[in-house]
Amino acid sequence: MRLGGIGTRYAVWIAALAFALVSTTLVAAAFLAFRESRLVQSEIHAAVAAARTSDEEEALRKTATYLGATLFNALYHLDVERLNEEIAQVQSWLPVSSFLVIDRSGHVLTDGTPANERFGDPVPGPRPDDEPRGLRLSRMGEETEIRFTIASGGVTAGWGIVTLREGPWQASLRRLEWRTAAMWAGHRSSLLSLGAVALAVTLGLALLTAVLLSRSLARPLTEMSRAAGEIAAGNLNHPLTLDSPGELGDLARALTRMAGDLRVHEEALRAERADLAGKNAELERFTYTVSHDLKSPLVTVRGFAGLAGTDLASGDLARVRQDLGRIVAAADKMHRLLDDLLELSRVGRVVNPPEDVPLGDLAREAAELVKGQLGPSQVAIDVAPDLPVVRADRRRLLEALQNLVENAAKFAAGSQDPRITIGARQDGDERVFFVRDNGRGIEPRFLEKVFDLFEKLDPAVEGTGVGLALVRRIVEAHGGRAWAESDGLGHGATFCFTLPQA
Amino acid sequence: MSRPPAALAAVVSAALLAAPGLFAATGAPVPVHLGVIAEEPNEPDRMLKAYGETVARLRERLAPVDVAMGDLVIARDLDDLSQRLVRGDVDFVIETVFPTLVLQERSRSLDPALVAVRRGQRAYRSVFFTRRDAPYRTLADLRGHTLVLQALRSTSAFALPKAEMARAGITVLPSDDPHAGRDDVRYVLAGAEINQAIWVLQGKGDAGAFNEGDWAALPRKVRSQLRVFHETRPIVRGLLSFRAGLAVRVRTKIEEALLGLDGDEAGRAALARASALTRFERLTAADRRELRGWAPILRPSPSR
Repeated sequence: MRLGGIGTRYAVWIAALAFALVSTTLVAAAFLAFRESRLVQSEIHAAVAAARTSDEEEALRKTATYLGATLFNALYHLDVERLNEEIAQVQSWLPVSSFLVIDRSGHVLTDGTPANERFGDPVPGPRPDDEPRGLRLSRMGEETEIRFTIASGGVTAGWGIVTLREGPWQASLRRLEWRTAAMWAGHRSSLLSLGAVALAVTLGLALLTAVLLSRSLARPLTEMSRAAGEIAAGNLNHPLTLDSPGELGDLARALTRMAGDLRVHEEALRAERADLAGKNAELERFTYTVSHDLKSPLVTVRGFAGLAGTDLASGDLARVRQDLGRIVAAADKMHRLLDDLLELSRVGRVVNPPEDVPLGDLAREAAELVKGQLGPSQVAIDVAPDLPVVRADRRRLLEALQNLVENAAKFAAGSQDPRITIGARQDGDERVFFVRDNGRGIEPRFLEKVFDLFEKLDPAVEGTGVGLALVRRIVEAHGGRAWAESDGLGHGATFCFTLPQA
Repeated sequence: MSRPPAALAAVVSAALLAAPGLFAATGAPVPVHLGVIAEEPNEPDRMLKAYGETVARLRERLAPVDVAMGDLVIARDLDDLSQRLVRGDVDFVIETVFPTLVLQERSRSLDPALVAVRRGQRAYRSVFFTRRDAPYRTLADLRGHTLVLQALRSTSAFALPKAEMARAGITVLPSDDPHAGRDDVRYVLAGAEINQAIWVLQGKGDAGAFNEGDWAALPRKVRSQLRVFHETRPIVRGLLSFRAGLAVRVRTKIEEALLGLDGDEAGRAALARASALTRFERLTAADRRELRGWAPILRPSPSR
């Protein structure tokens, strides 16, 4: 999926929407759960605090009263060892931070420790004797101080000061607060963990759903976008395998048709371009050749015209006659060249409608025409009996065969047993017609050059060098091909051509 | 029924004396018992916690030598322990010198054999102290005044101070004794060493006496308000004594077990829990001479 593409945008929007919905639901649920938990915690705290305020002081007062009675005998008898034992007992069940037993003079008798460092210290602060029930409670930060009278039967032996780090109910409340705080922390941690997991799962599911949905929605567009890009880049064969109903399907099919049409037009254009290039090249060669070959007789005419003038001035009529003969021969050659050129230009377009032509008959007719031109000749011409009927312009095809036979006869003439064979062979699916001679043969490097205009491998041989070019032009005008085959000099030559089947 | 009562008693006594031998004849060793006096008569469990481990260690050491260690016997007081010695319920006791001499006197059946070393002390002495600002400098200065002691069965905080006063020619009597004269010293019992010190400071007595270890253990602020003005001669810290009728072989095996008890960590820990004992040592001839010298002084007279 391309970043920033329509698929990504779909995915982001769908994921964001799903995530927002589920997240809002989760946050709302978490808020309600948190609020309820806080309410429960507050209610527990309030209930315990209420119980504490009503019970704690009473519990401390009773404890003080008990201690006042318990310590009396030991203090009365100054039994410090017993007092220390009693203090140790109290410390085992109350959170005592200090415990002082004071004698009637107001000095510390014992602090309950073996070192008894407070021994003899005067005790500041109020005595509890004047307080109701002989005791006094006071808060000092987190500590509670209890001052109580140690008395019995109206006799006061002394008094005690117990400092508690926290009252029993405070300890209970603190433990309860710790417990509820721990429960709350655990509850909150569990909820947060659950919420985090739920959010992660939601995000994952939202992304997955979004990707699937966006793929479903955006895939046709993405594919068409990619196909259009490929077509624009020239890849008209890029497949667009989209089977979608509705407008997207219509668009895809139209895009496919457009690509097909473009492909056809491009191929036609490429063929025409190639054809034009070929013709251009041929035209260039033609222009050059024509200008060169036509110039040659003109030079002859001009040269001998000058000589004729000189000879005429000198009165040498015999030489003047020879000069004029040369001028006439050059004019004839120029005439033939122009005739051949005219013929070649005509061959470029088939003017006669094609017809079924028995090629065997046409070959024999060509052979007869050539034999007539050659006069009595030793060249034997064989025509294969199984030549088919072809669909062609009869006149042009006869002209081509005639040129091929003439060409073969020229080169076979010098051989010991000159022979020309007109036949056909099967090359794969293609039917190839040929005119073979056993003449001097052609070097491989000249096999293609022989088809060029005015090209003559042997300048001594009669002709303008237009014949083979004419043959190729006629064959190609019929949609076929023409070429030469030879195993080299001394091995004869075979000129082949193909034609569409009739 | 024609047998006279005296003859019947003799027969019963003979049968009782023969009983241990009869049990021994069956092959099962007769268990021996260690006897101690409870510091708090109503709290025998304290002594069980203190001496239980020592008894267990002794049982381990005596079993291989065919001596069965029985349970600890906790007596309420000296009289109770004395009677148990007479009955043969107790075979050996650990006590300080004064209770040992009293038991010896009363049971006529106790033989000190080992010195019990406590808190590393083989011997200790008692100190007489008074308030720092008090005028007393000698024992004689206490005539007509009150001495704060700990308890009747205490050696260092009762018997030894009383004997020291007697050597100085001073009679010490209970504070409520109607026969006390003007020059006699009266005593009160505070029950604990710290109480003795506090009582002196609070004016319930004029001077106190206990051993030098207790003096060192007093709270610093308490001790700083007191001063020592007299010390006694040293006396062995404690004694382990055997019942006179105990078989020599058994007594020897118990002595060997006790002398080796501090040889391992478990034994030392057990001794430490038993009233801070450190080890046992054999009683030397010099120790015996010293004890014989103390005996007439420490033994209380029947009337006091």
